[in-house]
Amino acid sequence: MVSKKRCLSRRGLLKLLGAAGSGIVVDQWLGANVAIAQGPVPEKAMETFTGPGPNPHWNSVGPYVTEPQKVPLILLTDRPVQLETPRHYFRTAFTPNEAFYVRWHLDGIPNAVDLKNWKLHVEGNVNKPLAFSLPELMNKFKPLSLAAVNECSGNSRSRLQPRVPGGQWGHGAMGNAMWTGVPLRELLDMAGVKNGSLQVQFQGLENGQGPEGFGSNLFLKSLDLANPVLDECLVAYQMNGEPLPMLNGFPVRLVVPGYFATYWTKCLTWIRVLNAPDENFWMKTGYRVPDTPRGNTTPEDVKAGKVKTVPIERLPVRSFLISPDASSKIPAGMNVMLRGIAFSGYGRVIRVEVSDDAGKRWMPTKLGDDHGAYSFRTWEVPWTANSPGRYSLAVRATDEKNNTQPDEPVWNPGGYLWNRIERQDIVVGNAG
Amino acid sequence: MRNRLRAIFLVMSSLVIAVGLLYADLKKGYYSPAQLGSVQQAAPIELLPDSNYEVAAFPVPAVDLAPGDGLQDVQIYCNTCHSPRYITMQPPLPAAMWESEVNKMNKTFGAGIPEENARKIFLYLQAHYTAENRKR
Repeated sequence: MVSKKRCLSRRGLLKLLGAAGSGIVVDQWLGANVAIAQGPVPEKAMETFTGPGPNPHWNSVGPYVTEPQKVPLILLTDRPVQLETPRHYFRTAFTPNEAFYVRWHLDGIPNAVDLKNWKLHVEGNVNKPLAFSLPELMNKFKPLSLAAVNECSGNSRSRLQPRVPGGQWGHGAMGNAMWTGVPLRELLDMAGVKNGSLQVQFQGLENGQGPEGFGSNLFLKSLDLANPVLDECLVAYQMNGEPLPMLNGFPVRLVVPGYFATYWTKCLTWIRVLNAPDENFWMKTGYRVPDTPRGNTTPEDVKAGKVKTVPIERLPVRSFLISPDASSKIPAGMNVMLRGIAFSGYGRVIRVEVSDDAGKRWMPTKLGDDHGAYSFRTWEVPWTANSPGRYSLAVRATDEKNNTQPDEPVWNPGGYLWNRIERQDIVVGNAG
Repeated sequence: MRNRLRAIFLVMSSLVIAVGLLYADLKKGYYSPAQLGSVQQAAPIELLPDSNYEVAAFPVPAVDLAPGDGLQDVQIYCNTCHSPRYITMQPPLPAAMWESEVNKMNKTFGAGIPEENARKIFLYLQAHYTAENRKR
């Protein structure tokens, strides 16, 4: 007989097996309820807010929500609707319509558009005001297609220090699509812009509860008629070869290649030529950045009234690691592909480099297909970490104008123009 | 005999441990009660071949606002133009910034919140949404 002392008690056996992280089969075999304490904690919801430090996550922290014509996206606000695209949808150069981020300013946004009544108006300081139905836009003009990134001015706002109020976007307030439609210039020429005109204003089917004359009543944006970007603008009725989702601006939206999304008026219905500068809130007060390199300033300079501002314009060069995303660890010695995207509003991306030592040494990556100067460009590079540990992967892009992402943060009160080099910690495990 | 028993015991217990360790290496099929909310699929909507292009209503999920004085004013006034999720979405902000945010709604956006109620709103925000006191 074995002495009781030496024998493993049932409790002891359970402990041993429990400590070894036994599975449900063992639990059942023993007919016991073993608490499994070791190993990854069962799924737990994301925290509901971040701050006052920077948001440490790639995306913002809101819950998933299903909105019409959309896959579950990350909810920032529900009225008006602001939704962020989860990271994994950026594995491809073109962002699916159903996953494309959404940002409205006012709560009066269309649930329905009757195309029997809807027309796109070209009016204001023109020789001949015009109105076009959707079939006229589709049939009277030769369609033009163009790949362009649509990025929210406040993309990555949750990275700023100190934090600033506004939509607390992670990096997913951006997307790339193939836009098809009519060149804006053709519509303007057909209506005939009168001499002495200064700007062209865009208005969509978006309005709010605020009183007339306030930014809470209408969302209006304007571009200078002298701005060469007008020659690249499209009035798009297709997005990735499909009609636009309602939340992305059905039936047509303005595409301003290389420019921040604030100018890309959704449900565009009025194109208005102005003979005086647009002084509405969304031009004069909103969406302005310090007239400094990278739009950078400090809370002290803002308080001292030292900061001159200008309307926000082009997208600074940016790049992202999309995969691996740190949701799992990589066995040491395994060759994996690092993949991501890059873009710039100043010209095509010509170089993307990756570092696995926090930015000391940089290695080149292979760029994917070139879909045009304003498109996402994918990049990839094989990577092997031979020893277990934590690796800080950094990625930086350079465009054809030789703009390169810097490693310094940006701060301005609007939370705009963030484009510093992004980092991702990756855990490499012991491969056995 | 005693040694033999000991040897058998050792072999048996090694086997049990080996089985345990094997399961530890290949832990499988452990299920836990759901802690994350599931997101339901939207049912397809009926489409007609007419000129009206319509989508379903945009959902407005309930917002988890901190209970306290001024909550009612938030629900009445802030809610006029936007969901109070605009509050919970923000990071913790300094008290002075909450006051200027509420003032901005009146001065810049013409919200027309009576002064007394505007004050109750920023006091509420200052009591629940700064780095020092924010809990949810």
